[in-house]
Amino acid sequence: MSDTSDGAVIRCWRMLRARHILHAYLFIAPVVVLFGIFRVAPAVQTLLYSFYKVELLRGRFTFIGLDNFARLLTDPIFQQAARNTLVYVVAIVPISGILGLLLAVLFNSRFRFQEFFKAVYFSPMVTSTVAAAMVWWWMYNPQFGIINVLLKLVGIREQPWLMSSSMALPAIIIFSVWKTVGYNMIIYLAGLQGIPVQFYEAATIDGASAVRRFWRITVPLLAPTTTFILIYNSILAFQVFDQVFVLTGGGPANSTNVVVLDLYRQAFQRYDFGYAAAEAMVLFVCILGITILQYVYSKKYEIAY
Amino acid sequence: MLPRGLRGMGRLLLYLLVSGVAVLMLLPFYWMLITAVSPAPDIIAFPPKWIPSRLTLEHFQTAFDKAAWLTYYWNSTVVAVVSVGSSLLFGLFAGYAFAVYRFPLQNVFFLLILGTLMVPVQVTSVALYVLLAQIGWVDTVLGILAPNFASAFGVFMIRQGIKIVPMDLIEAARMDGAGEVRIVLTIIAPLIKTTLATVAMLLFLGSWNDFLWPVIVINSTDLRTLPVGIALFKDPYGNINYGPLMAATVISTAPMLIAYAISQKYMIRGVALTGLKG
Amino acid sequence: MRRSQVLAIALALLFVTPTGVLAGAAKKITLWYPAGDVTAGAAHFGDKTLFAEFEKKNNVTVEAVALDYDTMQQKIFAAAAGRNIADVLFIDDSWIPGFLKEEMLEPVADDKAKAWLAAVSPEIKTLSDYGKGRMWGYTQYGIDVYGLTWNKDHFKEAGLDPEKPPKTWDEFRDYAKKLTKRDAQGNITRVGYAIRHVGQPHGIVHKHFWAIHGAGAKLVDDHYRLRGGKTMINTPGGKAALQLVLDMLDVDKSTSLNFPDPRAAFLKGIASMQISETVSIQARQPKEAPDLKWGMALPPVPKAGDRPASNLGGWLYSVPKLAKNKADAWKLIEWLNSPAKDYELCKKYNASPRYTVNWDKEPFKSDPYNQGLKQMYPYGIKLPINLGFNGVMEATGSAIQKVWHHEASVDAALAEAEKLANQAIADAAK
Repeated sequence: MSDTSDGAVIRCWRMLRARHILHAYLFIAPVVVLFGIFRVAPAVQTLLYSFYKVELLRGRFTFIGLDNFARLLTDPIFQQAARNTLVYVVAIVPISGILGLLLAVLFNSRFRFQEFFKAVYFSPMVTSTVAAAMVWWWMYNPQFGIINVLLKLVGIREQPWLMSSSMALPAIIIFSVWKTVGYNMIIYLAGLQGIPVQFYEAATIDGASAVRRFWRITVPLLAPTTTFILIYNSILAFQVFDQVFVLTGGGPANSTNVVVLDLYRQAFQRYDFGYAAAEAMVLFVCILGITILQYVYSKKYEIAY
Repeated sequence: MLPRGLRGMGRLLLYLLVSGVAVLMLLPFYWMLITAVSPAPDIIAFPPKWIPSRLTLEHFQTAFDKAAWLTYYWNSTVVAVVSVGSSLLFGLFAGYAFAVYRFPLQNVFFLLILGTLMVPVQVTSVALYVLLAQIGWVDTVLGILAPNFASAFGVFMIRQGIKIVPMDLIEAARMDGAGEVRIVLTIIAPLIKTTLATVAMLLFLGSWNDFLWPVIVINSTDLRTLPVGIALFKDPYGNINYGPLMAATVISTAPMLIAYAISQKYMIRGVALTGLKG
Repeated sequence: MRRSQVLAIALALLFVTPTGVLAGAAKKITLWYPAGDVTAGAAHFGDKTLFAEFEKKNNVTVEAVALDYDTMQQKIFAAAAGRNIADVLFIDDSWIPGFLKEEMLEPVADDKAKAWLAAVSPEIKTLSDYGKGRMWGYTQYGIDVYGLTWNKDHFKEAGLDPEKPPKTWDEFRDYAKKLTKRDAQGNITRVGYAIRHVGQPHGIVHKHFWAIHGAGAKLVDDHYRLRGGKTMINTPGGKAALQLVLDMLDVDKSTSLNFPDPRAAFLKGIASMQISETVSIQARQPKEAPDLKWGMALPPVPKAGDRPASNLGGWLYSVPKLAKNKADAWKLIEWLNSPAKDYELCKKYNASPRYTVNWDKEPFKSDPYNQGLKQMYPYGIKLPINLGFNGVMEATGSAIQKVWHHEASVDAALAEAEKLANQAIADAAK
């Protein structure tokens, strides 16, 4: 190859790169602009409120720096809410994710009536969280809720469920697993569909067992999907609200108080919007940090081929 | 693809387990449906009646009388179709850009989009409402749509879906002279059909069940969406209205099942990666 | 492509769909109220004929919009922030302190307030007066007074006089013991007295208010003070109030944590006594328990001769400062709450009237339910208007829960509640 050809190749490549960069910005423009106006701007404004004493309706904003955050540090209720939220996230994300994966793998193979089972396991997603939570409130009733009735049938004592400070949060977690496992299953199913059959066929020909096929083909090729599940489920779990509001209202004795519920009360019952914004800021930083961690970690495992 | 060793007893146990859990999954729905068709005294009876003494449609009657369901259906449909449509379209292109291109500030933009998910809706709703009030979009369909023209979830999931597509395919198309837009629409989209169908269905679900934002931004009764309509049957203190409430929920849930059935059609294993050996 | 065709059609439909109520020639007044049974017979705005007369005379249209109660405060807040709020708000009077903090409401004109306070019966005056004759809205008919309700058949069955409710705490405990029923395994199938101990903390405190104040404790020292002050919950009276139910749980075993919704339990016949809003039982009993024979009286007192305590609460018609049509809004409210309208509506919906003159008219004069309520009203106490009141309620509710769930001792729980409550009052006063 002569020098001029090399130069031409490089020039061509640079032009292509520039064209691609232009395309990139064009393609993301609608999302960025629409989000920018209707989601980013309000979110940034809200977060900024955390540095002010906000009297929204009088239109008075007094800059108080980090005062709201200082108060947060010494607020035992907020600390408990933060602890509860962490427990909730650490429980629900792995449980719901792993169960979703197992169900997806199961129903992706030659499983009898799989269409029926898929629909059944997905069905909790179909109702709104609020409606479903109301039904479960009823089911958790210690006296005549169906859950205790069933437990009694197999000889287990009646449990206080939502009435007990130690059982209420697990009860909410159980509800959330019921509600979200179908969602994770569907997403993993979509991910599984993207794995070419040839890979499995080749592996089977080579004599790999089902378990080995699972660990060596399925799991690695599902990495992008798993990343998504982890990140998305975490973001949602940190902001759990609807079911707590309906099932326990944060009680008993703040044992199920979560950050979003606490900030909701601060904003709309105590009308301390600045303090609520501070809680939202802390939550945001936490979620962002964990998401970045998961994102960076995932890049190691996403295979480009 | 079940493990070969799992025959006979093990297999039977697995089926039993899955079926048993399936029954548990359906329990709340059973109760919802039964309540919707049980007469009022049965609903509040103690011990609770799991099989009603007789079936009645009176709750559906009450539900229909008390609320303008057709209007709610129409509004919910318009909002869902428009928001899902635009989210898919914009998400497809944005997802492609994030998955395929390398461009400055790429990660920043991606995290920005993802970041919109990280601040609770409860508080951002106020700031958004104030903004919309200034441009006159409060109490309009555009108001409901404003934060829903695009979806961070959609962008993210489509990006992940496109990441599996081999670059060779894209390169081949480029060498054939196809423009980027052509590539996205005619090559990528069919390949990630399943992902798109999943995103579409989940976005539809989200829009159909969205409660908080429509409640805040809509005042007029003829712009109400279904969840707002249903909430009017809520009774925080007692359970006298569970009958009509469950009937209302049943009425509103039906289209979701249709949407699910439609999306299942697209969930066929993609064998479209033929033509590329090594 | 099919996708873009669908999108195009949808967009076209979007612009065809009406995007708002077309403004008519007449002016419009909007009224927001909570939907459903939460108002327990105090809101009848679904009746389209209600405003007909006013609309014709004043050439306006009144649009009454029902809203979801749980998110109503949030919606009001957002609407006010967006300067796009209704003209009349029909709200829970416990929301008033929060609205006052944000200076969101317009006060009732002084002369009108004076006239109203002079013309209404004492309990309405108590609820409407926010200190020194200031009114922030007009109290609606059908106010709540908390009372003891008991199942007369259960009393007869247990050998108690069905017309004589317990008057002291000792009698109360005794009756509850006698009324409790158990199954063969010893599990309680019917409680003598049902307690509310879960759910929103405010409700828990509301339903135990009678014991707290009856024993001499107070939620806040000065009920009419907006900013500052302190709680008086961590006192011998407060401790006695919590201890009462704790003893009923552990010693008498006449109540249980398994019946979390006292009113529902009462109406279902699995609780013989409960203390909560009487209005609610009156509204729900005919539909839910048509055969139930029940009595209503003031809650019991610690010892004979003490003054009974109950809480008053109700709904209010208010006008926000940022409403667009304030003059017409006030006209509507004044028309709706005139003596003539009061009589007409209370008669129609079987609610207690507000004007003294109406109490002297039939059917209220000889109606046993309303006259029974009238005996109870004087003992009703209005809840504090302190800006930090929500925090006080949450702290107290938490303490009650912890004690009755056996997670903290009475002393420890109340000490913590006192700290948190005073902190809330101090924070709100800034």
